[in-house]
Amino acid sequence: MSTSVSTEPVATGIPGTELANALRALGVTHVICVPDTMQKTAIDSLAATAPPELLYVCTEDEGIGINAGLYITGHQPMLLIQNNGLYACINTLKAIALDAQVPTFMLIGQYGRDPLLTPDASPRRAVNRLEPTLQAWNVPFERIEGPADLPKLRAMWDRSRSTKGPAAAIVGAATI
Amino acid sequence: MLKQEAIDLLAKHRNGAISVTTMQTAAPWHLGGHTNAFHLEASACMGSASSLGLGLALGTPDRKVVVLDGDGSLLMQLGSLVTIAGHAPRNLYHFVFANGHYESSGNQPLPGNGKSDFVALARAAGYAVALRCSTAEQLDRALPDVFAREGPALIELVVERDDATPRWAGVPMAEMVRKLRADLGVA
Repeated sequence: MSTSVSTEPVATGIPGTELANALRALGVTHVICVPDTMQKTAIDSLAATAPPELLYVCTEDEGIGINAGLYITGHQPMLLIQNNGLYACINTLKAIALDAQVPTFMLIGQYGRDPLLTPDASPRRAVNRLEPTLQAWNVPFERIEGPADLPKLRAMWDRSRSTKGPAAAIVGAATI
Repeated sequence: MLKQEAIDLLAKHRNGAISVTTMQTAAPWHLGGHTNAFHLEASACMGSASSLGLGLALGTPDRKVVVLDGDGSLLMQLGSLVTIAGHAPRNLYHFVFANGHYESSGNQPLPGNGKSDFVALARAAGYAVALRCSTAEQLDRALPDVFAREGPALIELVVERDDATPRWAGVPMAEMVRKLRADLGVA
């Protein structure tokens, strides 16, 4: 993944309906959500039409536990959160997604990112520390920088299932 | 009441429910032989028992789920009371073993100095049922009625501080996840 500063956007917004439909195509049954400004229109689309069922929760810690309970009972849940939320739930991610080997697919919004900058060039720690944090915990991830990257959702979803662990797709620009 | 009395009574009235334990309830529930089937322990994720229980309850609406939580543990994800009440699983029964201490780490007192009230918190959050049992006799009488009612229910169990919690190596949570899925017939 490259570092760059550009006058053209590095990341462009994906229509929320397209992102929501991409999740539906994965067979997701529940989207467990701590609302993320970056993914507002996707959340709106999910809220308007089920499946998947949209479950609002108070914290990302809760979300990881609920994700596990739904997975154990035969469902195909996922999390929709933002970068700050990932930082908030590291211990639970460690215990449940990694140690307990629960498939945990996370769509993580890069809240605060300037779309002209790559994440590592961002002056904001919330943005520039996300990928290093995921790498530190051996959580695989892909950047979703625009509509062309939507197929990467499938790769990370499948990875979470095949490894029985966490995998992330990082939404780089606000959905439109 | 003694923690062991509460453990024994919950086992007696469990009737096939999925159990979720954590921290102070994990060893006695296991040593009592109650973890052989339909069981999950929230290990190394203090505070997650209620959320795991919610996910299990939403995923299996026709089977009861009993969460054997601790007061210190619940305080770590206290917002889960609101989340549980909001999703309103009728099959979730949330027992909070309240001894006022962080037992596993050496019985340090909980913040709040006993001023907080889990029953009132659950009611305010929107639980369908919220009550407190201070004696084994109260609990034994209450459980049939509790399980006959629709949840979510929170039952605060006032238990004595235990200075001799048995230690055990535990079962890896990954193994419990696989076993519970098998018990439930999930591939």
